[in-house]
Amino acid sequence: MKKLFAVLLAVLMVAVMATAMAETTLKVAGWDITTTPYYTAIKEGFEAANPDIKIEWVDLASQDYNIKASTMLSGGDTTDLYCVKELSDLQNWSKEGLVVPMNDMIAADGYDMSKYAGMDACYVSMADGQQYALPFRADFWVMFYNKDLFDKAGVAYPTNDWTWDEYAAIAREVAEKTGAYGTHYHTWLSCVANWAVCDGVNTLADGKYDDLVYFYELYQGLEDDGICMSYDELKASGMHYSGAFAQGNVAMMPMGYWYASTLIGYIKDGTASMNWGIAAVPHLEGVAAGSSFGSPTGIAISAASANKDAAWKFASWMCSEDGAKAIATTGTRPAYVSEGVAEVMASAEGFPTDETSKGALLPAAIALEWPIGEGVNEIKTIVNEEHTLIMTREVEINEGIAAMEERAAEYIK
Amino acid sequence: MTAKKSYVNLSAGRIALSILKYGLLLALTVVALVPFVWMISSSLKTSIDVFSVPMKWIPTEFHWDNYLKIWERVPLLVYFKNTAVVAIIVTFMQILTSSFAAYAFAKMQFRGRDLLFMCYIGTIAVPWQVYMVPQFIMMRSIGLYDTIWALVVLQSFTAFGVFLMRQFYLGIPNDLSEAARIDGLSEYGIWARIILPLAKPAIATLCIFTFVNTWNDYMGPMIYLTTDLNKTIQVGLRRFIQAYSADYNLIMAASLCSLIPVAVVFLFLQRYFIEGIATTGMKG
Amino acid sequence: MTASQANSRRKMSALEKRNTLIAYSFLAPNFIGFVIFTLIPVIFSFALAFMDWGGGANITFVGLDNFRYIFKDFSFTKSNLGIALKNTVFYTLVTVPLTLLCALGFALILNKAVKGAKFFRAVFFFPYVASLVAICVCWNFLLMKNGPVNQILNAMGFHMTKSWTSSRDLAIWAIIIVSVWRNAGYYMVMYLAGLQGVPGELYEAATIDGANAWQRFTNVTLPMLTPTTFFNSIMMVISCFKIYDVVAIMTQGGPGRSTKMLVTYIFELSFGGENIATSAQYGVASAVSMVLLAIVLLVTFVQFRGEKKWVNYM
Repeated sequence: MKKLFAVLLAVLMVAVMATAMAETTLKVAGWDITTTPYYTAIKEGFEAANPDIKIEWVDLASQDYNIKASTMLSGGDTTDLYCVKELSDLQNWSKEGLVVPMNDMIAADGYDMSKYAGMDACYVSMADGQQYALPFRADFWVMFYNKDLFDKAGVAYPTNDWTWDEYAAIAREVAEKTGAYGTHYHTWLSCVANWAVCDGVNTLADGKYDDLVYFYELYQGLEDDGICMSYDELKASGMHYSGAFAQGNVAMMPMGYWYASTLIGYIKDGTASMNWGIAAVPHLEGVAAGSSFGSPTGIAISAASANKDAAWKFASWMCSEDGAKAIATTGTRPAYVSEGVAEVMASAEGFPTDETSKGALLPAAIALEWPIGEGVNEIKTIVNEEHTLIMTREVEINEGIAAMEERAAEYIK
Repeated sequence: MTAKKSYVNLSAGRIALSILKYGLLLALTVVALVPFVWMISSSLKTSIDVFSVPMKWIPTEFHWDNYLKIWERVPLLVYFKNTAVVAIIVTFMQILTSSFAAYAFAKMQFRGRDLLFMCYIGTIAVPWQVYMVPQFIMMRSIGLYDTIWALVVLQSFTAFGVFLMRQFYLGIPNDLSEAARIDGLSEYGIWARIILPLAKPAIATLCIFTFVNTWNDYMGPMIYLTTDLNKTIQVGLRRFIQAYSADYNLIMAASLCSLIPVAVVFLFLQRYFIEGIATTGMKG
Repeated sequence: MTASQANSRRKMSALEKRNTLIAYSFLAPNFIGFVIFTLIPVIFSFALAFMDWGGGANITFVGLDNFRYIFKDFSFTKSNLGIALKNTVFYTLVTVPLTLLCALGFALILNKAVKGAKFFRAVFFFPYVASLVAICVCWNFLLMKNGPVNQILNAMGFHMTKSWTSSRDLAIWAIIIVSVWRNAGYYMVMYLAGLQGVPGELYEAATIDGANAWQRFTNVTLPMLTPTTFFNSIMMVISCFKIYDVVAIMTQGGPGRSTKMLVTYIFELSFGGENIATSAQYGVASAVSMVLLAIVLLVTFVQFRGEKKWVNYM
């Protein structure tokens, strides 16, 4: 009896120890966890494939994600993985040794890095050539348009191979025929200036900004004629682009692909009601149609993590085709590109079913919104500051461009 | 005759003066309440309508359900409870330690007093962002990270309260404490029996400021609290702001609810600004 | 020196020692917490001004490099530090007196037997407690291109074609207006509390001496309020030098750099902000805050030196 009891106890202890040892819980920091469906999809998908590892999302405020995440990393917090919101943050983290280099893990697993359409390259440190994060999400910019307003104006829908001049003409035509706004520019720099980088050659950090003149002139022409809301008023009112387009009096809006899931949500809960579609962003003469820009969202492993192997398992799964499909079902664009993933994306509930919209999901090329390198952060601030002066008409376009070039020159090596 | 005339003049002047006074007060009231009206109006709109141009003061549709949504979307009640706990403890600690420490600075002579006091003032001038990371590292190493105690120790010992109380103590005549000393009262006795009762308006002021600042603090809780059920109200409000959308209607509805405790504290404590007259009247 | 003198001296110092001990016992509860949770991190940040640190394990001593970096090509129209300094000082110089005047005015009106004084006090304090976002958004609307303020100004013959926050010249005034309006109620509460300390006998005595209302104000009220004014002006100067949140919501430092403040710049160097990438240069950020601290301490020191001259403690 005693013996049996001892055996039972031993079995029980072994069992307890086994489960305790086998089950690892990974803490992963992200933002908007409760309202962004793909976090749940990733967690469920990964836990199903790896029953011995549990995922626990740590929700940080999206607005101050970099402050909070940087402080946690510097403070040696035990959170295992961090989503990478801004490229510049990862650069700081990798420079300071706060995140783990991944080259050895990639080599050991023979992990396929070729499916990210180049989006993985910006997570490579220039200093040591190490990969410090994997991309799981890659948003690029598309043109959202309101089909109802186009129908009302009797203007044909945008195609995936239109030019910026055609775009301006269409915006004017729809505005004249419907009385609505032809297009909408949110107050960000990227809405006006980043089109110049779509060719994949120019960047906003190269110190030469004469290629922006065309886009500033295009914008100011539309603004002067009342085809779009004025920057001044948008900035002062603080209007969010999600509402601006969903109100239904804007025919077109260039915006990141992420807006699709917001819009689908609006239509689902009745906040907005319209027929909409997406098209590729227009292109300049001489640049391939369907060229766009964007930036990835990645996942990095904290140097303070106690479960680096499990963390790698999670990061590599999240950025694989399986992870990509889980993300794509929620209407978000994963970084992993394949026919299979595109199909899942287009079949997301509420996504427009026309061929143009589907075609816009496979851009010809995606340039990086901002390149990486020394001095880029300083230049980014400078370009943004001078941009606001041009947009508020405090300076002439060429004055602003000259100021950008003069101030940026200090940081160009 | 002349006396009567001047009397009439005086009262006409007085009426004009009080009309001017109340007119001014009312005008200022309107300006002060504009944001309040905007908050109410926005809290009843859809998130899309909040920032529409031109501004609509009266919503086209009244969305009273926003006030229900805020409790469903986030655990607002828990946030309220956490904030109340922090604010009450901090206010209590702040008043206790500040009113105590300020006595030494205001009523006692000791070596290094002025230097120490400059140290206190100096730290107020250093922006928090600069020492936030070192402070966080320390807080984490002593195990206070992600507990509301981090906020309590962070805000209970500020230089602000000491400075404020010192200024008020300095306004209390030294004869009073001297007389008490001669009567054989210890310094602690003087503090408790003479100074503290006279400092009621100051304590009420410090109480209001500390409570309001703790209640409205965002950066501290944002940095130090991570677990959802530990968070405070201001951090909770930000959950309505997301990377790709912002429900300002819900933020405003929740902000209005969060104003209620602050208003109660203010209304309760402001009676000490009247009672103070009576106490100071006696001291002469 | 006689024996008895020396003796009394020793006694005095013993008394002094005892007094110092008692004083420290008063300070201790606050001081211990203050040293651990504020002073030590602050001293660490002083040290950071001479280090290169990005938040990781590597901290290297760089001497005065951080200061050299921020003072490089110093100019009030071109360099970041110069512009931030100029904007912050201008903002402080305008905001402090305006706020104190409004606060004092409110307090004087509401300290008297005005009908509804309690209501008005609560109303004027309201802007300080209301959500900052709500306040900034409201003022942005009021100061918009075709907003009510511009309409009034246009009717008065001014030619206003822009939102205040979109103009290089007016944006800082928008920040000033909002700050004055928001803080006046706060300092009003301070003045109200201060007014409670003015003994009624002083007014009676002054009235008996034949002083009129204005004379009573300048000879009794103002001198008796000097401790409060002293506190208010020091706190105001410090908080003005640290202005950040209103700027962050209303203008983000723009247009251009016209409302870039010292703390905006510190944020830019340490954590970034909207449209502002950062390179986590905590050392450089600390150096900027040292500049800020030096100015504030200088101003405060001058105020303290003058304390004995103009501040009237009973």
